[in-house]
Amino acid sequence: MTNPYTILGVSQDADKAEIMKAQMLAMKKKEFPLQEIAIAAKQLLDPAKRLAADFMFPAKIKVKRIQPIQSTLTHQEINVNALNENAFNSLK
Amino acid sequence: MEIVIVLIIVAIVGYLIYQSLPNTKFEKAQNLFNAKDYVQAITVLNEIFEKHVDAPAKLAECKFNLGKQASAKAEKANYFNEVVEIRKRINKSESITKYESIEAKALFEVALIQYEETKGDIDKLNQNIKFIDTVNKKGSESDFSSLKKKHFYDLADSHFKKATDKEKSDKLSEAIQIYNTGKDYAEKSDNKTVRNNSVTRIAICQLKRNDKINLDDVSEIGYSDKSFQKELYYRYAIQLLKNKEYTAAEKVISSDLNFQSADIDKLSEILKAEKNNNAVNKIEEINTLIEQLQKKSLSTEELKAFYDSLDKTINEVKVIDIQVSERISALKPTLFNRLLTQYISAEQFGNAISIIQKYPKFWESPELLKNLGICCYGYTSKGLLTERNYQTVISGWLTSVFSDKVILKSLDDTTWDDNYTFTLIEAIGSNYSQHEETPNNVNYDEISESNISIGATQKELLQQFETIIHKEIQDINLSKLVNDFYDKEKEAIEKVISVIEKDILFATPHFAKQNGFNNEIIEELDNDYHSYSNEEALEAGVPYIKNSNSTVVYQYFYANDLIDKVKAAINSENSIAIKNLNTKENKQWIEKFDSISELVEDKLFNSISNKISEDDENEKLIPVMEECILFSIQNSKLKHQYSNFVANYCISKVNENEIDNFKALTLMKGAYLRSPNNPKIVKNFITLIRFNLMDILNDRTRKINEIYSILDWVKKNNMSQTYKQNSNELSTARREILQQLKKAGVDTSMLDDDNPLAKFNIGNSLTSQGLKMKKVLTYLKELGNNQNSSSPFDFL
Repeated sequence: MTNPYTILGVSQDADKAEIMKAQMLAMKKKEFPLQEIAIAAKQLLDPAKRLAADFMFPAKIKVKRIQPIQSTLTHQEINVNALNENAFNSLK
Repeated sequence: MEIVIVLIIVAIVGYLIYQSLPNTKFEKAQNLFNAKDYVQAITVLNEIFEKHVDAPAKLAECKFNLGKQASAKAEKANYFNEVVEIRKRINKSESITKYESIEAKALFEVALIQYEETKGDIDKLNQNIKFIDTVNKKGSESDFSSLKKKHFYDLADSHFKKATDKEKSDKLSEAIQIYNTGKDYAEKSDNKTVRNNSVTRIAICQLKRNDKINLDDVSEIGYSDKSFQKELYYRYAIQLLKNKEYTAAEKVISSDLNFQSADIDKLSEILKAEKNNNAVNKIEEINTLIEQLQKKSLSTEELKAFYDSLDKTINEVKVIDIQVSERISALKPTLFNRLLTQYISAEQFGNAISIIQKYPKFWESPELLKNLGICCYGYTSKGLLTERNYQTVISGWLTSVFSDKVILKSLDDTTWDDNYTFTLIEAIGSNYSQHEETPNNVNYDEISESNISIGATQKELLQQFETIIHKEIQDINLSKLVNDFYDKEKEAIEKVISVIEKDILFATPHFAKQNGFNNEIIEELDNDYHSYSNEEALEAGVPYIKNSNSTVVYQYFYANDLIDKVKAAINSENSIAIKNLNTKENKQWIEKFDSISELVEDKLFNSISNKISEDDENEKLIPVMEECILFSIQNSKLKHQYSNFVANYCISKVNENEIDNFKALTLMKGAYLRSPNNPKIVKNFITLIRFNLMDILNDRTRKINEIYSILDWVKKNNMSQTYKQNSNELSTARREILQQLKKAGVDTSMLDDDNPLAKFNIGNSLTSQGLKMKKVLTYLKELGNNQNSSSPFDFL
């Protein structure tokens, strides 16, 4: 089932007049079958059904703006060859 | 006198001849041997060496014992060698056989002396092994085997020592080879010290040679010398660090080098430096990705990989800089949101569902729960449900829509609704007490044109979803699975919502179980039961049971399950299974819950009725029904059902001659016992009594004693009121028999107890037939109703 907002090409905040106007426009454009356009308009004009259509818009989650990571860490030199391999020689 | 002298001479000559015989000499040698006079015995035995078959072996034994007695090693060796030399003089095969076991003992002693002289010398040990392998060991195999093992043990020690010398001189390959040889000898001789130490030293040599090694599953190391272990693990840790296998190195350092040492500290410092450098690299990578994200040049797949890598990175950085790791953690919700938004806009609902479900406690966020609902709807509408995923998708959708808080979230993002208010009065999953606070435009007032029903919105959403799953799933099997599951989940969540008054997240059973909060719901239902004794709460909780059996909800389920098991046993006609379930404890569980105990009889009755409707002459149902009567505390309906079934069965089977009258009487006794005042049962029972007595009378049965036993049971206080009212049949039968006998000219005075003269008819006696007749008539009289019978004087 296509979202009625998509069928009529209106925003989520469209008022009654905008919806009716959009219905007329959609009927002229004929991108969708007339019956679907009529059902979409009916749905958006019924507040309870419109709320059901609104349900299908993802909820916006409040998040922080993404920023690069600040760090004072720097590269350290690693010298494995400096280790004394015979430190634990057990055949002395 | 001359004669006497001749006789004496003859005796002396005879004695001398006797003394010179081999057997006599051998006997003498044996006596000397027994007296441990081996030297004298040897002299005698040498004389008869070739004449007596046992002489060589006895000679060898004497020398062997002398060898054992000798204290000096050289002297011992001499004697044992002399034993061995004896073989050359023997020319009889029987003598050889007897000699060989002594020879083997002597050879063993020789080998032992030679072993004592080896003193760990590898060549001498090997030489003596060769000697042992080649000589005769007859009868001393076990001694030789033990001695050979001692050689191996010593060879293991000697090779280990030799290998360490090679290792000290840096001849590592040679050392490894000799350690391996020593290890082989150690394995043959159970020399565990050398075996374990060799394994460890070989690994050390390999590390010294810079060979790549793997110490997983090398159990010997743990039993080797502690100083060897330290050296091995230290060198191994260095190798791992050199190969940049830092995780493995860290594991070795923490578990195998767990002691204080400046050298170990140096290893740890290198690890720390490596972790620091890794953290620096990771931060650089993250910042590059953030830059790409800001430029919108990161694909969804790259974003997903970035998001997935964060947990690992956070853990790695945490040990170096906790604040930086927290900054990285703070990226997660933002990246998650970006990824989710991209998935939803690209209609990749499966991926979206997957990441939502992995988000910790996502169900506590109305936004995420709403987005989950949207994704489940989208996934279903795209026809992507399968047998593997439909449960997750449907339970996600229902849990989302049944949360009024999720629906309220939709009001936050729009302005068209500013002129309206919204009421939760008919909302699903909502009641007044469940909300501590509601938004300003939400209330619990009556629905009107301007006060919009949130319940209607939820119903609209459910209806739209139901339309999809009812009409658009092409696969018939899947469609049935999906719709049945949807109905069950919906029914379950509705029941729970109708019971629980507290403000909790209402989830479907599958959703709650999948996300691990089913027990919280069950706990609320338990509480409701404790407060109001509301068994509907327990019923509602049953689908939420997963693994806990300590709740009242579980007890309720268990009690119900018992009934289901009895019903299953009825279906499978398994009376023993019902008998096994009929325990005091099980009955107590059922009795605990009124809603279950009240329905036990009806449920069993219905199950039995179904079985009877399948086959109303199924004899196997009789014991099943008897057990059901015992199982159910309320059982009057079951008794009635049982009695009628048995009566119908007996009538049918007797009429069709498929069972005899005795079997029918036995079955009917059971029916009569349980329904003593059911006229149909009683009448048929009485008829069968008559049939059986007639069978006795006419010699048609062998079960005479058994029949009288049942009849005696009836006589003995088991005549119900209905029985008494219907037992005329027996009186009448008795009267007819007597009349027929009279007509036939038989004198019935002795047969008829009612005839007072019968008692005085002392002179005559009855035949066996007469006695049988008299007994039948007596039972007919005693079991029949006498009220309407003729007076005893009628017969006069």
